[in-house]
Amino acid sequence: MHEFSIGQSVVQTVLAELSGRGLPPGALRAARIAVGSMHQIVPDTLVFAYEALVRDTPAAGSRLVIRPVPVTARCKACGWQGALEVPLFLCGACQSGEIELITGMELHLESLEVEEHGDAEH
Amino acid sequence: MATQNIKVYKDLMGENEKWAAATRRVLAERRLSMVNLIGSPGSGKTALIEATAKKLGAGFRAAVLEGDVETTRDAERIAAVNLPVSQLLTSGACHLEAKLVYQALLELPTENLRLVIVENVGNMVCPAEFDIGEHAKVAVLSVTEGEDKPLKYPLLFREAKAVVLTKIDLLPHLDFNLAACEGFIQQVHAGVPVFKVSARTGEGLSAWADWLLGV
Repeated sequence: MHEFSIGQSVVQTVLAELSGRGLPPGALRAARIAVGSMHQIVPDTLVFAYEALVRDTPAAGSRLVIRPVPVTARCKACGWQGALEVPLFLCGACQSGEIELITGMELHLESLEVEEHGDAEH
Repeated sequence: MATQNIKVYKDLMGENEKWAAATRRVLAERRLSMVNLIGSPGSGKTALIEATAKKLGAGFRAAVLEGDVETTRDAERIAAVNLPVSQLLTSGACHLEAKLVYQALLELPTENLRLVIVENVGNMVCPAEFDIGEHAKVAVLSVTEGEDKPLKYPLLFREAKAVVLTKIDLLPHLDFNLAACEGFIQQVHAGVPVFKVSARTGEGLSAWADWLLGV
């Protein structure tokens, strides 16, 4: 159950972005994050944590959208590149274990979906 | 109402990373190495530290940070083998985060020491997610837990720079398939060193201690 810790980091990061960009409370519709499949994170639990943690903040009412990123690797022995059948960390061509991960460890905020505010508003 | 998509690229573990980086700076200044022991409750993490301390005696220049949800019982066990120890209580959290470790490290007397052993909260999932500024994560798996754990907790075994299989004195009494377990470990993390130890009989402790002192 580390989803609340990670949810806390997501909310802190989102709030810092909103304030750094001068976006008003209520402007955020959705925060989009990439989560590599190496992380043992339960998406529904992270969404639940996010929704609970943004209450009474300038991001209140926004959604969290998670983009899962598959685990891919490159084989140092034969040069093969492709998706791994986790939990096996073996080359898809020559079965070597001498591989390096290309994707799958992501844990970052990718974009913010915000309401357009015209200058004439109010 | 129209919406706009603003592209950003921000590491979500940034705050934890800041504290982990601060810990690395303190470790570098004090010329210390740090290992992070991760395994399930009852896997024998505390017993491994105790047995290592007894094996190496006064030559073991190490201090211990004990992570637990509750009680100071583990810290008392470590103090009994004469290692400086500080107990970190997470009050419910299932893992240690970098800030707590950093604050405890600052208070820890490490003069003339060269190693800090962090015993993480008993759990094979969450602690693997958090960088605490360590030089090496070590996966601790007891032979009473089942040989397929490396496949079930791949992040831990992938991140670990060494795996310690504990309680091997119990093997004659168990159906644990040692060869299969070692095979699973290599399928998840080819080439990772595996130490088979018994804290009770002392078997395998020398090779483990050699590796530990080389971190």
